[in-house]
Amino acid sequence: MHQTHSQREFAIEFQPQIHILRPSIHSRRANIVVKFQDLYGFTVEGNVDDVNILNEVREKVRQQGRVWWALEASKGANWYLQPQVSSLTEGIALKSSLKLSNLTNAITLKRLIRKGIPPVLRPKVWFSLSGAAKKKSTVPESYYSDLTKAVEGKVTAATKQIDHDLPRTFPGHPWLDTPEGHAALRRVLVGYSFRDSDVGYCQGLNYVAALLLLVMKTEEDAFWMLAVLLENVLVSDCYTTNLSGCHVEQRVFQDLLVKKCPRIATHLEELEFDVSLVATEWFLCLFSKSLPSETTLRVWDVLFYEGAKVLFHVALAIFKMREEELLQTHHVGDVINILQKTTHHLFDPDELLTVAFDKIGSMTTNTISKERKKQEPAVMAELDQRLRRLNSIKMDDEK
Amino acid sequence: MATTANKNINAKLVLLGDVGAGKSSLVLRFVKGQFVEFQESTIGAAFFSQTLAVNDATVKFEIWDTAGQERYHSLAPMYYRGAAAAIIVYDISNQASFERAKKWVQELQAQGNPNMVMALAGNKADLLDARKVAAEEAQVYAQENGLFFMETSAKTATNVNDIFYEIAKRLSQVQPAPNPSGMVIMDRPTERTASAACCS
Repeated sequence: MHQTHSQREFAIEFQPQIHILRPSIHSRRANIVVKFQDLYGFTVEGNVDDVNILNEVREKVRQQGRVWWALEASKGANWYLQPQVSSLTEGIALKSSLKLSNLTNAITLKRLIRKGIPPVLRPKVWFSLSGAAKKKSTVPESYYSDLTKAVEGKVTAATKQIDHDLPRTFPGHPWLDTPEGHAALRRVLVGYSFRDSDVGYCQGLNYVAALLLLVMKTEEDAFWMLAVLLENVLVSDCYTTNLSGCHVEQRVFQDLLVKKCPRIATHLEELEFDVSLVATEWFLCLFSKSLPSETTLRVWDVLFYEGAKVLFHVALAIFKMREEELLQTHHVGDVINILQKTTHHLFDPDELLTVAFDKIGSMTTNTISKERKKQEPAVMAELDQRLRRLNSIKMDDEK
Repeated sequence: MATTANKNINAKLVLLGDVGAGKSSLVLRFVKGQFVEFQESTIGAAFFSQTLAVNDATVKFEIWDTAGQERYHSLAPMYYRGAAAAIIVYDISNQASFERAKKWVQELQAQGNPNMVMALAGNKADLLDARKVAAEEAQVYAQENGLFFMETSAKTATNVNDIFYEIAKRLSQVQPAPNPSGMVIMDRPTERTASAACCS
């Protein structure tokens, strides 16, 4: 009696799934959901088309590997790690060493990286090009082991939150979700929380650090990658109290959408859709929670070489790729569903990165820095205003 | 804001509460009928939609499940702005999460939509042995502050559908006459302008 009561009254209607109608056997096959494990051990749910794309992508990765080996044969081993090539993006400082051969090498490298770093080379290339190696070289060899030993057994707000999040970071992953995986992730996050007490620990970093661990293989290298990311690659204060840096990035992103995708921006404004509703997670987790792992890592390949502007390119591309569909939407929910479906099925990194760089067009780090400077005062005023309002509630309460 | 069209109501609903109180678990139970022991931590917010039929209306919830960590609170106005309903969640085995819930209630009373339907959910009701917050205490608090209160368990599904159903029912009643008493809003600051300046 009670069971039927609840069924009758609640009558929950599930959202009907919208399938694209293609009158072929392939479309029926494409709707079968299959579960499989990707290159980094994540369980992926996708349809047959997704699996096919993933196989094509794997083949492309192998081909790209051959390109890297061939270049290594002609330019010498580790040519891409030489400072005059690798740090060209840093600009002016190295102007004096600008030789034509270095310049061509740098251009070649930029192109190569946008096409993807072969997974076996990733740890080495990231570590060097991001500046992590340089950062590590400025402190004693034993820095990381000393740090982890020194903080062992200490309990802070950050460590409590980290412990709470360990089993909630990619649960079910064959390595991350084991006692060994938890312990490694814990040491990296706790270590960092003591290195920079302003950041401490911010939810979101657990996903970033977890993926770094999977790629870098060693805990210590993952730690330095996290450090260089937060201290040099990303805009500062992204993860500190009240996330002010993140608020700034969101406003910059909103402005860039208006410039680069004006039709979408106008339409979303009519729907009262704030892009940061979806983009906040993208920027804080660096897409690791939304894109398939290999696609995320391809974004990170470029991120570590070209800097934080890459996040804007990719975020804009996700909107751009679905321009026509987005323009047809009438509700905020529909917009989010389209974007979520898009990111979850983006198994082809080249499709995304081609749009991100060729269709979106160039944006210099300089332009973006200027944008940030412009937005900062407004963000600070807004955060301050909220704080004051909340404090005034408290005062009223105490009266 | 909830909008009516042929008894179809679109309602934005936001879940707020301390980290680990079980906001995402409540939503997962309601939307998919599932429960997992370790739910991925939410960053920013996660979006879900679910439709409920009540009496003579259909309520389509657009649910924003927000991140609980303190520093994410600066993002909250974006999610509760224009919300027709809110569920403020605490964990019955954690006194601090109840105190945090009260702060959310205060913030919503001051900054949220004045007609917002607010529910207080004492989650993890299955953890009776670890209880730190008495149901009576929460009930009294809810009554004094114009919320309705239920103890829920996303794990056992107790009261999960019920709390959403109760919200839907109240929304469908509120809808035809958005401001039945006229007096309710008067004692609250007219915060429309203030909230428009925030995060717009």
